[in-house]
Amino acid sequence: MASRRCLGALTRHLRARLFSASPLENPQTLSLRSLGFTIPQRTSSDLDICHRAFRRSISIRFGGVRRCSSRPTNPSDEEEDEDDESEEEEEENEERGVSSDGENGDVRASKCVVQRGKSEEEKVVEAAEIGYKVIGPLDSSENPFKLYEPFFAVVQIGSHQFKVSNGDSIFTERLKYCEVNDKLILNRVLMLGSRSQTVVGRPIVPDAAVHAIVEEHTLDATVIIFKKKRRKNYRRTKGHRQELTKLRITDIQGIDKSENVAAVA
Amino acid sequence: MNKDKIFKLAKGFRGRAKNCIRIARERVEKALQYSYRDRRNKKRDMRSLWIERINAGARLHGVNYGNFMHGLMKENIQLNRKVLSELSMHEPYSFKALVDISSNAFPGNKRPKKDSSSIVA
Repeated sequence: MASRRCLGALTRHLRARLFSASPLENPQTLSLRSLGFTIPQRTSSDLDICHRAFRRSISIRFGGVRRCSSRPTNPSDEEEDEDDESEEEEEENEERGVSSDGENGDVRASKCVVQRGKSEEEKVVEAAEIGYKVIGPLDSSENPFKLYEPFFAVVQIGSHQFKVSNGDSIFTERLKYCEVNDKLILNRVLMLGSRSQTVVGRPIVPDAAVHAIVEEHTLDATVIIFKKKRRKNYRRTKGHRQELTKLRITDIQGIDKSENVAAVA
Repeated sequence: MNKDKIFKLAKGFRGRAKNCIRIARERVEKALQYSYRDRRNKKRDMRSLWIERINAGARLHGVNYGNFMHGLMKENIQLNRKVLSELSMHEPYSFKALVDISSNAFPGNKRPKKDSSSIVA
């Protein structure tokens, strides 16, 4: 709907202003100035407060509009590749639009925002932290690939651990919020090792980082799920392809490299 | 259609099971059932394989698997068995460091033979 597209443009501008400079320091003051609403003091985080300020502004402005039409044609408020998140935000807006009261909107705001606020940039970074990766900027015509160095690191992504070295490629579960040719920093490093040193973390090594580049987002080979109960005329066949991400490890930081090279040479 | 798919899945089967559709269909169905079951069994088998390897690697340094893992848990080292088995195979010095950490944290075993059985540095 055209109203939703305008809404999206407005919120995009507001959101850019809010989150452009120092989002974690003064969101309250920024939102107060920009939106001109008094925000009730709550005990939740600053992010939730400014998030709620957004939503309340939207509901009060377009309070009476019933938005029950076409969810799939929701214009992209957010980044291009998160369809699920835009749809969830869609549901938030719809609930807010239906309950056009301030009080009810507030109560629902406190319930909804805490659970499904995945669309903001900070939330994206937080979800990335759960998978133990931090997204760096995209590759820009530089060559980060180095020759093999005799150091290894044990890194954990999600619930899987990998022993990696420079130049390795690993397959992990599909990592959301990153595209091909994105630089990642895997910061959950459990162990580092070299020819003459071993650094063991309890559980992780602080200030250690493993740099990786997303090589591709692929699907695994098909597995056929076949169930049969004999003599009962029951037979089911299903195919499944798991979504994977292929990472290429480029750099390991956190271990002394110069001494070992000198010692070897 | 389906026959071709069955024969494609029946490659490598013994005797008429790869050529004759009636027999091939039965064997292919059984093979798919086994693969469903074994996808779950593989996880168990791999874990027991890793434990065997960790056990062997740790006993070279005079510590058995139970005490080794207990020492690691006490030190809050969260390496899993897959990675520990890889280390015991390919990174002997790092594995020895882990064994030392574990035995410092939990000296369960007596260590009578230290020189003959450990890897010469």
